[in-house]
Parts: sequence; C-alpha cells; structure tokens
Amino acid sequence: MTRRAQCLAAAALVLAGCSSGDRKPEVEYNCPANALEIEVLQREITRFEADSGIRIKLNPFSGQDKLYAMMAAGKAPDIFYTSSTMRDRLAAEDRILDLRTVSKGDPLPGRLWPHVILNGTSVDGGWYSLGNWEFTCGVYYRKDLFREAGLSPPDSSWTWDDMVSLARKLTRPPGPDGRGGRYGIFIGSHFVEALELMNGADIPREMLLLRIPAESADLYRRYVALMDEGIMPDLLRMQAMGMQPAQLLENGKVAMLVEAVPNQSLIEAMTAPWGVAPLPRFPGKKPAYFRSASGGLSLSASTRDPGAAWKALKWIVTEASTYQPNPVLRDVDFTGGWEKRYPQLLGSGFRQVWDLSLEHNGGDPRFFVRFSSWTSGPILERLQPLLDQVWARKKPVDSLLAAIPAINSEVRREIAVTSATMTMKPEFREKIEQALKEMHDHSAF
Amino acid sequence: MRLNERSQLPLVAGISLRYALTYAVLMLLGALFLIPFLWMLSVSLQDAQGMFALPFRWIPDRPRWENYGAALSAVPFGRYLFNTSVITASVLCLTLFSCTLVAYGFSRLRFPGRDMLFAVCISTMMLPGQVTMIPLYMAYARLGWVDTYLPLIVPSLFGSPFYIFLLRQFFLTIFREYDEAALLDGAGRLRIYWSIVLPLARPAIATVTLFCFIGTWNDFFGPLIYLNSPEKATLTLGLNMLKSQVIGSGSVQWHILMAASVLVMLPNIIVFFLAQKQFIRGIQIGGLRG
Amino acid sequence: MRRTLEGYLFVSPWLAGFILLTAGPMIASLYISGTSWTMLSPPVWVGAQNYARLLGDDHRFGLSLLNTLTYVALAVPLGLAVSLLLALLLNRRIPGRGLFRTLFFLPSITNLVAVSLLWMWILNPEYGLLNGALRMAGIDGPLWFQSERWAKPALIIMSLWGTGGTMIVFLAALQGIPGELYEAADLDGAGAFSKFVHITLPMISPAFLFNLIVGIIGSSQVFTQAYVMTGSAEPGTEGGPNNATLFVVLYLYKKAFQEFSMGYAASIAWVLFFLMLVATVLQMKLARRWVYYEAGEQ
Repeated sequence: MTRRAQCLAAAALVLAGCSSGDRKPEVEYNCPANALEIEVLQREITRFEADSGIRIKLNPFSGQDKLYAMMAAGKAPDIFYTSSTMRDRLAAEDRILDLRTVSKGDPLPGRLWPHVILNGTSVDGGWYSLGNWEFTCGVYYRKDLFREAGLSPPDSSWTWDDMVSLARKLTRPPGPDGRGGRYGIFIGSHFVEALELMNGADIPREMLLLRIPAESADLYRRYVALMDEGIMPDLLRMQAMGMQPAQLLENGKVAMLVEAVPNQSLIEAMTAPWGVAPLPRFPGKKPAYFRSASGGLSLSASTRDPGAAWKALKWIVTEASTYQPNPVLRDVDFTGGWEKRYPQLLGSGFRQVWDLSLEHNGGDPRFFVRFSSWTSGPILERLQPLLDQVWARKKPVDSLLAAIPAINSEVRREIAVTSATMTMKPEFREKIEQALKEMHDHSAF
Repeated sequence: MRLNERSQLPLVAGISLRYALTYAVLMLLGALFLIPFLWMLSVSLQDAQGMFALPFRWIPDRPRWENYGAALSAVPFGRYLFNTSVITASVLCLTLFSCTLVAYGFSRLRFPGRDMLFAVCISTMMLPGQVTMIPLYMAYARLGWVDTYLPLIVPSLFGSPFYIFLLRQFFLTIFREYDEAALLDGAGRLRIYWSIVLPLARPAIATVTLFCFIGTWNDFFGPLIYLNSPEKATLTLGLNMLKSQVIGSGSVQWHILMAASVLVMLPNIIVFFLAQKQFIRGIQIGGLRG
Repeated sequence: MRRTLEGYLFVSPWLAGFILLTAGPMIASLYISGTSWTMLSPPVWVGAQNYARLLGDDHRFGLSLLNTLTYVALAVPLGLAVSLLLALLLNRRIPGRGLFRTLFFLPSITNLVAVSLLWMWILNPEYGLLNGALRMAGIDGPLWFQSERWAKPALIIMSLWGTGGTMIVFLAALQGIPGELYEAADLDGAGAFSKFVHITLPMISPAFLFNLIVGIIGSSQVFTQAYVMTGSAEPGTEGGPNNATLFVVLYLYKKAFQEFSMGYAASIAWVLFFLMLVATVLQMKLARRWVYYEAGEQ
C-alpha cells in the first residue's frame, strides 16, 4: 500500500474504534492511594464492567486539600471520600448529591445499620455520605505478660480502677543498663474521647460551640495521672519515636494498648500471644462503646450519570472485596469473616468487643463530629495547642476549662463572618443562624 | 568565628600549625556534613527493626537491597521520573530560549527605558510568589490548565529574572567589538545574537542550564498546587506522597522512605558531579556582581 | 527608532511575562484580598475587613509572623557565619580542597523533601543520630520536632547543613581579593584578626549583602520543610507542637487550600510582601554605610 493509503486506513480504523459505541458511562472513583488495594480493585472492576456496563476509573488520592481545588477547576471525581466537615460544607454549597434521591427504591439503605445512615446525615436532614468502614476500639493486652505476673485477663466488667491497678502491677522500671523497662498501658491521645464516652460524657451531635462536660474533664485528669504515676509513657515522647503502637506491644514495651478494633496491621504484625478486651467501664455509668463515624463516600453533584454513579457506589460498598465483609451492612457476618481470615482472632476477645460495641453504640465523639462542621476547624485550631500542653503536663486540666469562654467568643465571631459571606443552601443557613441565636440566649458558653 | 592564631606560627616537621589546624577543622566539619548522607544510606539498607536498634548499627548484617525495590513499587517512581524529566526538559529549553534573548536585549542594545525595565526585572526577584499565586491559580483553573503541566512550563516561556540577571552580567563581559564588527558587515541583531554572542556565552549558558535543571527537578510548591492526578506527579511530589502514605497508616517505614530519598537524590548528585566546574563558576558570576 | 523597536523586541518575552504573570496577578490579588471568596462560589466584597481581622484579631497570624521572624533572625546570621567560616577554611591552597568544597556544597542542591525526611529521622528523639551522640556524652537530648522549644532550632540545624550555596559565593569573593592588600598589611605589622576586620570583611561586603538579602527573602518564605516535617495526617495540625513551626507561608497555604478562604490568604500574601519590601529597602539603605564597592563597580 502506498503511504497515503496506509495513513487513511489507520485513520479509518481509529475512527471506527471511536464510534463503535464505546460510550459506556464512566464513573471516577477517588480511592485511597494504597498500591495493593488498587491492584485488587482494578481486577474486580473489569468484572463489574462486564456485568453492569459501567466503567469505573480509579483515581488514587492522597490529599483531602486537593478535592476542593479539583472541584473548583471543574475536574471533580464522581465518587470521593468526605470527612464530616467537608461533607457539610459541600452539601451546603450544593456540591454533593442527597443520596436519598438516587437510592429511591433501592434495597441497599434497608441493609445498612440505621446509625450508618444517621452518621451521613447533615443538619438539613439530607443523607450525603455513605460510610464505607467502621471500627471500634479496645484494650489489647499481652496474655503471656499477664500470666507471668499471675494476673487474670480482663473481661467486659472491668473498671478503670481495675485497669489502673493491673497497669501498676505490670509496670517495670528499666534495668541498670537502661533497657528492659515496661509500662503497664499506653493510650494514644486520639482515643481519649472514646474513654470520655465510657465515663458518661454527653456529647450532642450538632453542638456548634466548645463544651467540655464534667465527665470529660474528670477523664482528662485520670489520663494525665497515668503519666504522672509512670504507668504510661510520656505522650510526646511516644509520638516523637515514630514507632508503630503495635511494635510497642510486640516488643513488650507496654503490656496493654488501646487501639482500633479491628486493626489489620496489628493483627498481622503480632507474634506474641495477645488478647483484646472491651474498654474499661466507670462505676455507675452505662457502657457506651465507641464506634467510628468519621465520614464516608459521597457523590458529586456535577456527575454526568447519577444512576451509574450510585450503582458503582453500591458495588464498592457491598462487593469490592477489599472492603468486605463491610461492617456497615447489617446482613453480613463481620466477625465471622475476620475470624476466617485471621484464625488468631478466635478466642482473643475480638467477637465480644465487636458485639458489645453494636449493642451499646456510643457513637463517635471525635472533634470533627462532636462539633458542627462549621466550627470544628476553628475550635480545633485553638483547642489542640492547649490540649498538647495539658498532655505534656505543662498546664493543668483546669486551664482548658478556663479557656473555653475565650475560644467560644472567637469562634462565634468567625462563624458569624462565615455565614455572612458563604453561599449556602437556605436550610443550612437557617439552622446555623438559629443555633447562633440560641447560643446568645444561653450564654453558658 | 575566627581561628585563633597568631601571624607567625612555628613550623613543625615542615607543616605549619596553621595548616594542620585548618585541616583538622575541615575534617571535623566534613565529617559532620558527610554523616547524614552515610546514615541515609545505612538506614535505607536495613529492615524495619534495624532503625530502632540502640545503639545504631552502621553496617547491617544483611544489606536489604529489596528496600529499593519496595520503594520503587510503593509509588510509581519510574513514571514520576519520566514526568519530571519531561517537565524539566521543556522548562529548560524555553528558559534558555527566552532568557538569552532578553539578557541580550538588556546588555547589548540601547533603548530608552532599558535601565528602568532592568531594575524592575531585578526587583521582581524579591517578590514572594504567594502574592501572585492565588490569582494565577484561579486563572489557570478558568483556562482548564489545573492538573496539567502547563502552569509549570508556560511561565518559563517568559524568562526568569534570576537567569536573565546572570546572563546579562556575563554578556556585559563580552567585547563589544565583535558586535560592532558584525554590524558593520551588515549582520542583523538576531544573527549577531545567534552566531556570535551565544557561542561565546557557553559557560554562562551551561550554568543557567544546571541551575534551571536543579531548580525544576526539585520544585515542590508548584507541583503541589497545580498537579492533582497522582499519575502526573513529579519525583518530589511522589516522595511526599510516599511519606504521607507511610506515616498516615500508623506504621512508619523509614527504611523504605530513606531508600526512596536516596533514589530521588541520585539524579541531582550525578548531574552535579558531571558538571561541577560550571556550576560553581556560575554562582561566582552571579554572586560577585550582586 | 529602529534601535528602540529592536530593543523591545528582544525584551518582549520578559515584558509580556511581567504583565501577564506578575503585574496583572498582583493587581488581581489586591482585589481578591478585599473579598471573601471560597473558590466554588462568587466572591463577596468585604473591603478592608480581611486586613482588619488579620492584623487585629488573628492571634495565629501574629504567631506565624513571630515564628517566621524568629526563624529568620536565627537562621540567617548563623548561616552566614557558618558559610563564611567554611569559605575561609577553603580559601587556602590545601590538597583535597575540591573534595571538601563538593562535600559542603552537595546538600544544598539535593531535594528539599528528601532532606527534610532525612533530618526528621536524624532528629528523632529516641532513635535519631543526634540524640544518640548526645546520649554518649551523657546529655539527654530534647524532643526536637515534637518539642515546642526545640522545633525551630531543629529546622535551623537542618538549614545549616544546606549553606553550601552561600559558601560558594563567599569563596568566590574571597578569591577576588588581591593579595597585595594582605602583603601591605603584613608590612605594617597587622595581626591576623586586624587583617580580617579591615581587609577581608570590607572586600567581601558586596557578596555579604547579596547573601544577606537572598537569605532573608528565602528564610521568610520557609514552607517545604515545615510542611513535610510537621504536617501530620490530620489537616489542621501542621503548625507543629503548639504551633511552633507555623510560618507565614504555611499559614497562607492552610487558609487558601484547606479552608478555602482565598481572600484572606491573599491579604496574608500582601502583608508579607509589604514587610519584605520594607526590609529590603531598609537593607539597601543601610548597605550604603557598610558595603564597600571598588571604583567602577555598582
């Protein structure tokens, strides 16, 4: 063939390929930037595409701050993760879909735990994000160290004081060469809120301003006392070490460790015999075990095919193997599935911890959920440095309580500015202004 | 900050004390500067537990070369190498093209307003990039250039004050007589620029090339802001992604991170060794006349 | 006439760039700083409110300014001193000089993110090299990047490792000092210290000024190290322990790309620009007093 004919033939082929109806709806999914997960997902996506005719394009993502920028540039993905803070802002600016509209008549909402839908609901009553994962937390402990010390392992009825006395018995000072020391327990600062719940602190969902109930303050004091007494390592030092918490437990540097349940990397890394117990209770307080609700997957309002996007979202939550068994689904045997994958979970106490957290679900009081998403940023900005100082034992817990009025007045001013200058759907604005008015009337804050 | 010495020190075995003192201090400081590099190499060859060994073992029992493999696969460094090369090559070409033209204009040609414009050019060196960052970002977003390489490449079409300054200083040292002779022969300005001045300015151009290469290769802020899709990221951005991946998941795999850092540093070091003299000469030219 | 046209033609790339990429955006950003603008919704004009809030109400901005000022005030003089020392040492004809010069210069051209990660580990309180060395000397090292008091010194130590570029400038300047000056001083019986103060320092003062200005401009824009090192997985906590490493540019980045207050961020940029302008003009004016130019140079 002559050169010219070759070119024409090639062009014709290309055109033919383009127009041969390769118009499958395409949905872009912002997935976590984990190489292994992506590999597995990629394989399953091809099967999903064959079954449903919807193509999913994976977009590995490692930065929340980019999402907004991408939206502004008009390149928003269709399915992406939103934290509770982001979700409310985006919902107010009409950037994400109310899932109730796309899921009409679909059986999936019925399969979800009610609290999952509640966690994804914003202040206007709309359902804007579908959680894709949940976890609770518990106290991991070294069975052999307990046996060695002649102590019986904890069960669900143990109290904070029981835990402290066990920790005391398990703490060992370092030898003359500086090695061999052991702490009784380690609780990371991000798990303090879970213990506040156990102590009965009442933390309403839509609180706009900072409020530290007496039970929380009491818990903070007990937490700091652990470090003062020397049964828990210094928090800053631990964070600075950069060691994984599981390594602490594995090396025997701590005998007990509060961590998420289930925690895949911990389960896989541990070779020493371990068990996990539910969080300790406080006398006279009803148990309220922590269950996370830190965000979920949302659908972009500018998605070209909402129906396809919903179907893809459904598939991700219910069938993508990386996320199965998915704890947000009621009809799935979560504990059974994990026990099958990791036989060491049998007899470890995992099942009990999980079931208890479902039975007495205390929810998620972490800052970005505790406070309304409009104020969690400004509050945390001011509160975190103070908390750091309290955990470093440079300031007493009371200094936190004393700082509350000042923090709140600043935050009140900021949110007034925000609501005056931000474009919001009327339902959101009404709710915020109403809350502001109420706060003025009850200036207990 | 000054060595304690008196003018005439006795000679001991033919080596003056001042000499020996200088050498000793240099060795000490040299060691201090070298140790971080060595440590980086050492950690990159150990396993997850090795870093936490007290006391630190400089040479591991079994060097873990597979850390480098893991670093390469955790984040697609090969891809990022390609991306970074593409960006750097484009920026380099455009920069050389525009900066030499402009520097020639500022140094060899006389026209009204020349010195004032040059002063403005220099003063923009002192502008913090953040002042113009936001409107530029919005403009690029409107144009649809966000998440492409265009915001990183196109500005080099317009030259950069630092290189213009450097080149101008160098051009000033080239004899005017060459220009004048060529003009008398009837050559156009462009021709003079191309066939006479440029070849003579090779050292300065080499220097600008090196500076530009290093600067673009290592650029962090630009890619951070303008690139969103992970497959478009550069090496620097990739390293940062690896870091947040590795630290965010609760387990800090420093050995992999150090291996990745070594890989990212390697091109710079290689390029530097290949072209040391030009590099240093370039800074001398720029700094002396500052 | 032809000359003018020619001249402007050659200079046109830069000129066009200046208008498009510098002057234009500067004016636009001045306008933006008077609005409240999240990128997705249209801007709302608020006049000077951003500036009022920034300068009157915003404790964190004040803190970030203080942090930046402290960092600059410590890092720049130390950096100049160390690089001058290195240059003085390398100014002698000793064997292996080239090797040392390479060694000292290398860190300054390597990737800043990689360098930040490296030093994060070196300054790890428990397992890091520095504290390990201190421990051998019997000193209990501080928590460096986790400590409010020692986070900035940690950054400064890191910056000292990268003073190679400054050193080269000094070295070039030192090598440009004519030997006759020293010989004449020797004949007059001047001591080493006197030679340094009366000959060396004045002769390298242009280079000193250059390094000083570049150093101040560069240090006040410190971002990458702070972002990489004290940025954690949770957005909103990049300021380091008790905001010790919250620098102005980092604060600006947070406001712009995490809280999407574009107008507010623009006003931060303008305040920074204004401060740097004042600082530079001040320095240039003061420079006339102490910088010595040989006849003919300027």
